[in-house]
Amino acid sequence: MKRFTNLLKKEIKELVTKQLVISLAFTVILFNFIGQVSKKEVQKATGIQTISALDQDGSPASQALIKGLESARFKILDQSGKTKDEAIETAKAGESKLLLVIPEGFGESLTELKPSEIETYSFMRSFSLIGARGQIVVQSVISALNEALSNNFLSEKLPEHDPASLKRPIKSKDFVVVQDMMAEGSANMVAGMISQQSLLIPVVLMMIVIYSSQMVISAVAMEKQNKTLETLLTVPIRRTSIITAKMLAAGLVGLISAGVYMFAFRGFIGGIGEEAAQAGAQAGAPAIMQKLGLTFSASGYAILGLSIFLAILVALALAMILGVLAEDFRSAQTMIMPLMFMVMIPYFISLFADMNTIALPLKIFILAIPFTHPFLVSQNLYLGNYGMIVAGLAYMLVVFVALVIFAARIFSTDKILTMKLRFGKKKTAAA
Amino acid sequence: MENVLTVRGLKKSYGTQMALAGIDFDVRAGEVFALIGPNGAGKTTTLRIIATLLTSSGGDITFLGRDLRKEPDFVREKISYLPEEAGAYKDMKGLDYLEFMANFYARTPEEEKDFVDRAVAITELGDRLKTKVGTYSKGMTRKLLLARALMTKPVLAILDEPTSGLDVLNALEVREIVRRYVKEGTSVLLSSHNMLEIEFLSDRVALINKGLILDAGTPSELKGKHQASNLEEVFRSSLR
Ligand SMILES: Nc1ncnc2c1ncn2[C@@H]1O[C@H](COP(=O)(O)OP(=O)(O)O)[C@@H](O)[C@H]1O
Ligand SMILES: [Mg+2]
Repeated sequence: MKRFTNLLKKEIKELVTKQLVISLAFTVILFNFIGQVSKKEVQKATGIQTISALDQDGSPASQALIKGLESARFKILDQSGKTKDEAIETAKAGESKLLLVIPEGFGESLTELKPSEIETYSFMRSFSLIGARGQIVVQSVISALNEALSNNFLSEKLPEHDPASLKRPIKSKDFVVVQDMMAEGSANMVAGMISQQSLLIPVVLMMIVIYSSQMVISAVAMEKQNKTLETLLTVPIRRTSIITAKMLAAGLVGLISAGVYMFAFRGFIGGIGEEAAQAGAQAGAPAIMQKLGLTFSASGYAILGLSIFLAILVALALAMILGVLAEDFRSAQTMIMPLMFMVMIPYFISLFADMNTIALPLKIFILAIPFTHPFLVSQNLYLGNYGMIVAGLAYMLVVFVALVIFAARIFSTDKILTMKLRFGKKKTAAA
Repeated sequence: MENVLTVRGLKKSYGTQMALAGIDFDVRAGEVFALIGPNGAGKTTTLRIIATLLTSSGGDITFLGRDLRKEPDFVREKISYLPEEAGAYKDMKGLDYLEFMANFYARTPEEEKDFVDRAVAITELGDRLKTKVGTYSKGMTRKLLLARALMTKPVLAILDEPTSGLDVLNALEVREIVRRYVKEGTSVLLSSHNMLEIEFLSDRVALINKGLILDAGTPSELKGKHQASNLEEVFRSSLR
């Protein structure tokens, strides 16, 4: 045990290099900076914007429309008295993103219940979505006006009826059923929430797998490059301990780096996300998820964590084998690619296909990839498929143990040295 | 004197290529035994098998009366191995490297300190041990690694070409270190392709070529037998 911790300490020290610390710090600062900048931009865009308005009508209805815009936090630049062309020119030269033209006779045709027209001119000075918000707001003000006008009309002409039920005679009440739980809500929304929740798993998993695998591979490649491997292999410590120490160190450092990156990334998303989240919040959503039993309990999180942990172990063991077989550092790096694809495949398939309905051969193929199982855990937890969860965990454990045994076998045979020798011989032959 | 190591009929092939065709030799307690021969003779292969790094294809090796193949863990406790062209961890300070390696062999903190102190004395590097190994010259690195191999007072120190690539003075220092520390009870098995330097360093030598031992004995025995003035001439004569 003392020997193992001695080795583990050395492995961790070796992986936590100046470059790693600097690149982590740099990422945090960079993402934070981007986050701050975007936050400002979002605030600017959602803050008070100016709209130019040319009211050629001057009726109560046209004034109501402009009032409505003002109450939606817009600053209105009155262009009264100008011609349309003049107004367009002025608005273009100024900072207005939008020019609203209410033609003469707008109010009159409204009262006569004829279709009325207004014109909007959006000045696109950039193509960001946030910049285009002005027109969306105008549209919603107009539709609110439409609503009010038609309600007025209906209640005048047919006072005994509710205008709302006149306009929408058929109403649907939507329920979602999961297992034996039921709640009012739309299936679309529930699926959206779930996929949002489970999006985090692959991102975290990918990050950790990539970082840790690279670290394991470099841990082995560095021993080869520095010509320290031979000495280490004659030291009185078990080969499995050497492998485990390297994997554990890489796993820990990879986990921490991934954590730091995630933290930085959240700072970035947080900058843009907040406002957007406010706008698009489906107020009742969390309550519905609760009612449907679609939230994780503590044990649910524990199972998910265990599943991710096992997937990381499998990735580390695979990376270890790749690191041993690779002749040098660079070829080891390219060998990570298939590993990354293996993590990506289940993610994309779970996005676009339903595991329950895909063809059997494809299903077997996907289930054979150990990294699939963490993706399925949340679904299976919600649906109560505990058998699948246990099978997935057991499968990953078996794969991990098999890989470690295989790696230890390579470490105890001539291969680990003869691979390096062959590389050395090639070099002298070329020289 | 008792044998620390007995090698009988040792064979090794890499795939179809035969590297060792069956060799025999013994290393006795407290002696310096040298395998000498040209490049590609099979010296490194032999030392690696004894250091438990490679598995033999045939033959028997007995270390302290035990089967080396069956008890590699026992062997690793009692030997130390200095590979040809070995390196140390470049980002470690010299002293940290010695502590790291001593930790694997020491049973108590006192013993660890003992090992490190001995290594510091062997290297004669002084304050340079507080700087990173990556900044060392070839001679300094070799002395550090040699000190590492000898500090634990192993029963058998296996040194593969300990002086190769060093300048005259560094090579001389390395030979002196080996001689001095053998007196403390360690047996040394080393290899070299430089037959002249070995004469002054070794108690007994074995001449190896193409995976076969041509002759073995003390340098003076061999010189007398082949009527030669040095080991290079002995080697040429034994090839015939
Ligand atoms: N990994 C290997 N694969 C194939 N042949 C090897 C390997 N290692 C050594 N050999 C061959 O075995 C023979 C003995 O090599 P070696 O023990 O390194 O010689 P020495 O150390 O005496 O120079 C040489 O012919 C060498 O080419
Ligand atoms: Mg050699």
